[in-house]
Amino acid sequence: MIFAIFIPLLFALFVPLLSKLKERIHTGIFVLFIPLSIFLYFIRFIGKDFVPIKQTYQWIPSLGINLDFYLDGLSLLFILLISGIGTLVVAYSIYYLDRTERLGHFYVYLLMFMSAMLGVVSFDNIFAIYTFWELTSISSFLLIGYWHFKERSRYGAQKSMLITIFGGLSMFGGFILLSVIAGTTSIRELILHADIILNSNYLPLALILILLGAFTKSAQFPFHIWLPDAMEAPTPVSAYLHSATMVKAGIYLVARLSPIFSSYEWFFIIVSTFGIVTLCWGSYMAVRQTDLKAILAFSTISQLGMIMAMLGFGTKVAIFAAVFHILNHATFKGSLFMVAGVIDVQTGTRDIRKLGGLFTFLPITATLALFGTFSMAGIPLPFLNGFYSKEMFFDSTLQLTQSGNGIAQFMVQIIPYLAVIGSIFTFVYSMYFFFGVFGGKKHTMKLAKSPVEAPIGMLIPPMILVLGVIGIGLFPNAFNGTFLAHAAEAINPLSSAGHIKFWHGLNTPFIMSLIVVGVGFVLFKTKNVWKKIYDILPGRFSFNKVYDQIIKNIDIVSTKITNKYMNGSLGTYISLIIGAIVVVTGFVMIQTGGFTISFDNLAEITIIELTVAVLIVIAAIATIFSNSNLAALLITGVVGYGVSVLFLIYRAPDLALTQLVIETVSVVLFLLAFLHLPKMRKRSEKPPVKLKNIIISVGFGALMTLVGISAHSSNWFEPISDYFLDTALPIGGGKNVVNVILVDMRGLDTLFEITVLGIAALAVFTLIKLRKDKEEAD
Amino acid sequence: MNNLAILPIIIPLISGAILAFVHSKVSLSRTLAKLFMLINLGVVIYLTLEVINYGTIILETGEWVAPYGIVLVADSLAAVLVLTTNIIAVAAVFYAPHSLTEAKEKHYFYTFFFFIISGVSGAFLTGDLFNLFVFFEVLLIASYALIVLGGEKVQLRESLKYVLINVFSSILFVTAIAFLYGVVGTVNMAQIAERVQEVDQQGILTTIGILLFFVFATKAALFPLYYWLPKSYIVPNPVVSALFAALLTKVGIYSIIRVFSLIFIHRPDLTHEAFIWIAGLSMIFGVIGALATNNIKLIIAYNIIPAIGFIMMGIGFFNESGMSGSIYYLIHDMIIKTALFMLVGIIAYVAGTSDLRKMKGLIHDYPLLGWLLFIAAFVLAGIPPFSGFIGKIQLLKGAFENGEVVIAIIALGTSLLILYSVMKIFIRGFWGERQTNNKLEKKPIFGMVTPVIFLLACSTILGIGAEWFVPTIESISSDLLNPQNYIDSVLKE
Repeated sequence: MIFAIFIPLLFALFVPLLSKLKERIHTGIFVLFIPLSIFLYFIRFIGKDFVPIKQTYQWIPSLGINLDFYLDGLSLLFILLISGIGTLVVAYSIYYLDRTERLGHFYVYLLMFMSAMLGVVSFDNIFAIYTFWELTSISSFLLIGYWHFKERSRYGAQKSMLITIFGGLSMFGGFILLSVIAGTTSIRELILHADIILNSNYLPLALILILLGAFTKSAQFPFHIWLPDAMEAPTPVSAYLHSATMVKAGIYLVARLSPIFSSYEWFFIIVSTFGIVTLCWGSYMAVRQTDLKAILAFSTISQLGMIMAMLGFGTKVAIFAAVFHILNHATFKGSLFMVAGVIDVQTGTRDIRKLGGLFTFLPITATLALFGTFSMAGIPLPFLNGFYSKEMFFDSTLQLTQSGNGIAQFMVQIIPYLAVIGSIFTFVYSMYFFFGVFGGKKHTMKLAKSPVEAPIGMLIPPMILVLGVIGIGLFPNAFNGTFLAHAAEAINPLSSAGHIKFWHGLNTPFIMSLIVVGVGFVLFKTKNVWKKIYDILPGRFSFNKVYDQIIKNIDIVSTKITNKYMNGSLGTYISLIIGAIVVVTGFVMIQTGGFTISFDNLAEITIIELTVAVLIVIAAIATIFSNSNLAALLITGVVGYGVSVLFLIYRAPDLALTQLVIETVSVVLFLLAFLHLPKMRKRSEKPPVKLKNIIISVGFGALMTLVGISAHSSNWFEPISDYFLDTALPIGGGKNVVNVILVDMRGLDTLFEITVLGIAALAVFTLIKLRKDKEEAD
Repeated sequence: MNNLAILPIIIPLISGAILAFVHSKVSLSRTLAKLFMLINLGVVIYLTLEVINYGTIILETGEWVAPYGIVLVADSLAAVLVLTTNIIAVAAVFYAPHSLTEAKEKHYFYTFFFFIISGVSGAFLTGDLFNLFVFFEVLLIASYALIVLGGEKVQLRESLKYVLINVFSSILFVTAIAFLYGVVGTVNMAQIAERVQEVDQQGILTTIGILLFFVFATKAALFPLYYWLPKSYIVPNPVVSALFAALLTKVGIYSIIRVFSLIFIHRPDLTHEAFIWIAGLSMIFGVIGALATNNIKLIIAYNIIPAIGFIMMGIGFFNESGMSGSIYYLIHDMIIKTALFMLVGIIAYVAGTSDLRKMKGLIHDYPLLGWLLFIAAFVLAGIPPFSGFIGKIQLLKGAFENGEVVIAIIALGTSLLILYSVMKIFIRGFWGERQTNNKLEKKPIFGMVTPVIFLLACSTILGIGAEWFVPTIESISSDLLNPQNYIDSVLKE
């Protein structure tokens, strides 16, 4: 069964080959069979006596990452949506995308998405879910950017990627946190350990991180801004990913995890607040749009908000209504997107201001749109599924009896009103969509093409969806016990709606519906009058601008910061590095009480040693003040020769000799190069810079001195050098211990030091030779 | 005693020397280089399997017993890193002929290349602090040679900074060793560890540890010591940049892992706690740098820094998840950084510029290149199912286990920005219309792309096939947390 998830991905491997045949057979025809067969395979699980099915495949058990396939009612609902709508969308795309398009790419991305989405909804392991979750973001990114030669597509793709992957990563953090708290990576076990999670200090953090994932994916306010821009994708993609399936992944996640969090009052507060605000804001903004797909995008945002809010309520009725609405929304919104696509293809525009009076030209399309929009508006008619779930939504807002803190109680009070307000605007944009396109005067002369009805193949998929709208509307109970109830039970075991009825009597929810229709009708008719309100709210403000500002400022601010210190000056770098060393090491030395000084075991200081030492110090300081190359060279020489004198005094003639040779060779080399060297410039730092340099260099010198003294004063162990003295002759066979060390005891060091010299010689030779060759070539 | 431990050091050394003699015959050099590299890889695979199956291999060089002579210690950490080094080196040696001019190849590129491999392997394998210094010198001097290879003005300018800062840190290194020897009277790392433990890391020892940390952190390019890195890493040929990014900074971070899991482990409140802060700052400033530029090579170069931050974070947690995460991430990053440097090298080559603002629509002519970059971006950001994800999951686990919430959130935010910084190249450089005024002809890149595919395949295997590697990495991590194992294996045979 788990194999079903990977079938689309595996098939995607063959799509590039099949797309070579696209001139003869549209690639979509091959692809069509994939979702269809998955749909047919899973539809047999619908039934009253369905029990969850579990299959485990180990992937990375060491990290608790396994592909635990778990099919319960909720998963089944989503799998059927993904494969069912998927089939229709692929069928639709065959007519929507003509053969000149890069069909191979399109279907590969689409199949990738299908696998990813199936994975999200059917795995029980949080990390498996995360893996597929990111894959949905990636395939969505590619599909939005399908027409990447358009600037808007690139913009939309990047935006959706940044926002959804931001959410994905934060959800990932939340998942890890949950797994660390509860010690398991399986959602069902997390639910069993809910008490541990609820008592953890990290509960708020885990909840926020996970909800960020869900809210970004499901386009909740204020993260909704990516969805309207995602409409740059081809319309089949909008219908599929950005309306029916992917954007519901966040809903799915909240539903899946709600058994863990539902008794935590902040879960109720956050989820229902964001949900209800999204509902209102989305529907309010939808009325303002002029692009058909933009209207639908904001409508989707608003509907997702409504479902989210119901999951936040968490009551029996609310959960059932949420599940019911997931199904209903997929049917009517899917069909409406396809309708929008038909209009786009047949008229050459999606701008509602240019459209109107198309009923006579596109009668079938118009009929489909009629059912879709009226169902979406929640008009009380017994053959529209949208009405049933909306009615339940109203009902659930009235049944909230949260006895929690002040905020929760306040929410309980105002939610019903907000629900009505949001639904009023839903009604308005639904009417606006339908009558704006099909009603009113014809002004076909504005159109690029003269409109004719679409080919029947393009109309069949939305027709099937509309049949779903009507079918569910007429026989809601056929879907109830066998299908929806299982899904609702998976979220809340107590939840199972009784009989779904059209007529409950003149109760409060029905009155709410009547208010929606009544007020909505008035607002729709007077839209031109109150339209000015959009200049005040949101006015010039938009969350898009916030996003754009952030993106712009990321570039600007990071450039500013980086250029400030990465100025290419070696002096800056060195002083920053040494400064850091002095501060940190000094701090540690003080903190650990590291400084010790002991006068035991010191050799006598002779006058010669003292003189030489003082000379070295003076010479070292003097180098800084010398203004000419030659002077600097000579003064440095004093340091070098001074050191060799010290070596001599301490009876290390070989070292002294080496040092002398080095000094002499340096001087000779320097003199050879002397003519070619630039004159030393007079140093002219400003006093503060000079002061900084003095502090850093004196600080570093002092630090090294103090550490040196301390190191010398804390010899707590016998050094291993005694061993060398003892064994140099008997084992090493040499009377000079230093020689034995160099060539035998630590011969490996010497071998590689020689190598270093060899490489250096070769490097210098190359540097000169390659440059010389080049100069000659020039 | 087993001579196996020295082979990964000696084979490249000899190979480098041989190649110096045939340097003028380019095609012979190429063939020999590939051949030697594959032989070395074979030997290293054998070594790694031996070590993982039968335990640490110790070699007391010249039969001078530990702690008096130099010991080579091929424990599983060293072996795994040497193996990774060789995998990268194989990719590099196949990439090099397509990327370098013949003049550069003739001028001892392969010799320097093998010496770097020798130095890096030596640094991983040695059990002697002074010997570590020597191997640092080997790899540094070879890197100086490679960074100026070609002798362009910009190379000379940037490499001067590179050389001077590294010489400074070498001086500090040898001074710190001297201080440490003054206190504990030995340079054998196992014995140092034993002695430091004996006196409970008291007095000046922690301070000396911090000095050593600064030496390694300069090489590893950690905050606030990385200034030298970004611009100097983009001036040499891409294959050289790739080697530097994959190996040099990683030797630094390896040394920190070794020294601060073996020797200076008794004041974690001062050292390891600070590492977490340094890790966080490296991530933030590194990724900010990557976002601040339109030079595609520089974007990748800056991305070295946050990755080092990720590795550092796990060392700071010093728990089993954190350490495994660091090691997994280290291996992952060595591979993916090589691949990315090679990729941007190819992109700059085909686009004729490394300025992102001047390219667009490359996907029309170079689809394969585009998709490789696309995948590489996700690998780098640690998106599943690739290798970075495995390391990150362990690192974040380690963070939450220790209650380090802030750094975990910084790490997650950084991942997003890392992805953005590289994805920018894909969106702006590859998407869009084909450039019409493009006078550049379509260039053959197959030979350069193949090594990249090989490396990305490694990343994918490390991700999807993580189960084959995670147990080994976890046992390395638990070994590191029990330094007595290392001490015993070196000192008490």
